[in-house]
Amino acid sequence: MSKSDVVIIGNGVAGLMAALVSADEGKKVTLLSYGAGTFPLNSGVIDILGYDEQGKAVNSPITGIDQVPDSHPYKKIGMAAIEDAIKYFKKTVADEGFAYTGSLKEQQWLITGIGTLKPTCLLPESLQGSRCFDASEIVIVGVKGLKDFYVDMVKENLAKELGADKKYTTITVDTYITGRDLTTRDVAKWVESDKGYGEFLAQIKGQAGAGKAVIVPQILGTKGDYVVYKKLSKDLGCTVVETTGMPPSVNGIRLRDVLLSALKKKGIRVVENAKAEKAIVKGDKVTAIEAGGEVRTQTYEADKFILATGGFYSGGITMRDFGEYKEMVFGLPVEGDCVEERWVNKQLFSDKKQAFSMAGVRVDDSLRAVDESGNVVLKNVYVVGRNLSGYDFCFEHSGNGVALTSAYKAAKA
Amino acid sequence: MVKDKATVVVVGGGATGVGILRDLSMRGIDALLIEKLDMVNGASSRYHGLLHSGARYAVKDQEAAKECIKENTILRRIGKSCVEATTGMFVQVEGDDPDFVDPWLKGCAESGISTRELSKEEALRLEPNLSRKLKVAYEVPDGAIDGFRMSWQNLQSAARYGGRYKTYTELIKVNIENATVKSITVRDNVTKEEYDIECEILVNAAGPWAGKVAELAGLECNVSPSKGTLIAFNQRITNHVVNRLRKPSNGDIFVPHGSITILGTSSITIPDPEDTSTSWEEVEELMKTGVGVFEHLRDYRILRVFAGSRPLYVPKGAEGGRNASRGFVTIDHEKEDGLKGMMTICGGKFTTYRLMAEKFCDVLAPKLHNTAKCRTAEEDLVPEVSEAEKKAARQYFPSYGVNLAATRLGVEKFGDVVKTLKEQPETREVLCECENVTMAEIQRIAAEPTSHCVADVRRRTRLGMGTCQGNYCAIRSAAVANKLFKNKFEGCSDSLSDMKNFLQARWKGITPVMAGKTLREAEMTRGMYELLFNVNGGRRG
Repeated sequence: MSKSDVVIIGNGVAGLMAALVSADEGKKVTLLSYGAGTFPLNSGVIDILGYDEQGKAVNSPITGIDQVPDSHPYKKIGMAAIEDAIKYFKKTVADEGFAYTGSLKEQQWLITGIGTLKPTCLLPESLQGSRCFDASEIVIVGVKGLKDFYVDMVKENLAKELGADKKYTTITVDTYITGRDLTTRDVAKWVESDKGYGEFLAQIKGQAGAGKAVIVPQILGTKGDYVVYKKLSKDLGCTVVETTGMPPSVNGIRLRDVLLSALKKKGIRVVENAKAEKAIVKGDKVTAIEAGGEVRTQTYEADKFILATGGFYSGGITMRDFGEYKEMVFGLPVEGDCVEERWVNKQLFSDKKQAFSMAGVRVDDSLRAVDESGNVVLKNVYVVGRNLSGYDFCFEHSGNGVALTSAYKAAKA
Repeated sequence: MVKDKATVVVVGGGATGVGILRDLSMRGIDALLIEKLDMVNGASSRYHGLLHSGARYAVKDQEAAKECIKENTILRRIGKSCVEATTGMFVQVEGDDPDFVDPWLKGCAESGISTRELSKEEALRLEPNLSRKLKVAYEVPDGAIDGFRMSWQNLQSAARYGGRYKTYTELIKVNIENATVKSITVRDNVTKEEYDIECEILVNAAGPWAGKVAELAGLECNVSPSKGTLIAFNQRITNHVVNRLRKPSNGDIFVPHGSITILGTSSITIPDPEDTSTSWEEVEELMKTGVGVFEHLRDYRILRVFAGSRPLYVPKGAEGGRNASRGFVTIDHEKEDGLKGMMTICGGKFTTYRLMAEKFCDVLAPKLHNTAKCRTAEEDLVPEVSEAEKKAARQYFPSYGVNLAATRLGVEKFGDVVKTLKEQPETREVLCECENVTMAEIQRIAAEPTSHCVADVRRRTRLGMGTCQGNYCAIRSAAVANKLFKNKFEGCSDSLSDMKNFLQARWKGITPVMAGKTLREAEMTRGMYELLFNVNGGRRG
């Protein structure tokens, strides 16, 4: 196998972003993927920083980033790279016809599948929730047989967020698909078809109209192209808003497809089902990765490696027993506060960050792993996304933000 | 205010209490059982679910061993819907004391427990996950028993003979006149209403809480709660119950249940039976011992850790904990303390719950001039769902879940559920894919008078108790609660709290094992609920 300039391990948000940016730097890129990445579980919106250290909502992500502690990945990535990464991402998705709205200056709000509001930084227009804040009537559309979107629950929680002075109505449409439970992806496919669209429109048209906002699950087509969204908004003559929801996340899959399409255009080689298992090290540098495929192990040589294997969540880091951390490809040092009193908060939904979620690889400002004395362990290995220590992606709502910006920085390094 | 009366009131909804209720009812005695929370919330569900063959007691306590094998045989017959006749293995690995085998074999033989020696090859063929350091293996007639189902089926059986039961009904006062129990005062923990129940005999079957109940009557009952910690694994690691062939100790027993395996237990004397906390140290001790039998144990995903208190009865001056007797006592307070109309049953084992009830009721019944013989060993707990009914159900139901649903629902409710599935296709929605629970079943159980909140329904249906530990069904159960229980029960009021409470109940068992694959699962739970759904609420500040 011919040598690459950069090998990227992992095909989540961080991996794909790192591949795109590296290719734009004129590098020959190989991306090793294993499994579907986390996109089907991912909202596909870009949270940068939703809540601060005290759990208070952040109104302007850029101001919030300023106040994170020094151990936070954002401090290592630096504001300049963060701003560039956002610009780069927005341009990339816009070029693919799936423009995201939002900026670092002002927090955006979306409506979740249970009717709460969620802060985020960049998101597809169809998910932009603040567009319905001024509507006089909120029409919540459920789908018969679709699990995990309960109109009464959405109504209950949304009324708490937006106020009881609005009118809230609920309707449930029928897909006429029988014999099994449905997922949002099933319904999105139905709405995307000509016949399904007609049936869908006919059932909700009477309820919609000027001044109203129609709230739907993530069902406006499976593709990141806004075709169904634009058509429906026009046909209904009012605001239409999609919500985030349980896996499989349609919008996460839209984002994956859009990024993969961009990857393809840049000629990036994506190797599927290649689980990186071992690094070949010479001195303080890695020369190649051995990855297991369906039948045999393949060696991938490169000058630079970017590790985007997703932390505990995706098995990039494991902890077989308390304190026994292991970074699975390079054996990089992992830091964490694995002490019984502090490792897990007694409350699942806590007012504090969860220590186990903060564990990860300690890096320097170039995103290379460092040992306890601060010395770089492997000179040409960069660590990005969920593998990084020092942030709780859930508590602060920053997962895709850290993924995106760290990947950008590592690719530029 | 007197609102109810019964000849006998039984306090405590664990195995002991339900066994007594069934026994009394079958003898024709009017009896009412009260339980302060939901049924089976104590030791009868917080244990490994082992139906003992008695082999574990064969060396130290042959009387217990003999009782176990006798009851084991009876329960296999009358409890087909709650017993899984797995058979068991006693194994030794390198380092175990070979001198323990002969006395153990002798004890089993004398107690009437059949044993069959297995060659190492055969044992490993039967249980390929066993350690390669296996030395000796014997087969014994151990089994697995579901504590929830067994208890509910006893109640159903009792109900056929007029036995009654009330959940969320807590004893708060024993009303005594002339050294005789006249009535009790109870509090309805749902409505907070307090009222009196008249009775002739009050039975204290409160297990580890027996001391507290005795106190309400001004008596002493020296029960010593002994906490046992257990680990539930996501896989069926073994098809047999597997025991370590040695002097009984911590972490000796693996019991398979459906798709999971339970490893237990520890034994720690604690002051408060409500204490179900567990520590890393307890988990590690169990794991360390467990690895000796299943060497890859640390690679399995742990579902959760839980603990319960054994109600060990300690006569004054005797030793508690692991060395306390697993036997039981019947205390007639008229004889012991001069208080007429109150009896206490304490100690014992889940496996012998029926026999305990029989012996206890043999003392109680004559006090009421009742001479009927115990018949609890003769009749099945519940009639079985027929194959024809199951076949019909498969048209509307996830086929592989039919057997489980049939055993947990019983004939009558299973029939109701299948009818609903047939007539209302929208109720075919599978709310819990792990345990195959449909909306129709949830609705049916929610309609029971004992169902006050989602947790009650969860324990009856196993909603959220399977491999995903509520990840996928917390939202669904909150939606159901919203529909079915709104304003019925404190805590079932808004969907966000319902969802959080549902997951928090699971979290308690997950926190002590936040390592390995459990860690991955936790990241997913938080990703879904804290991130995607932002259950902590939006514009907080």
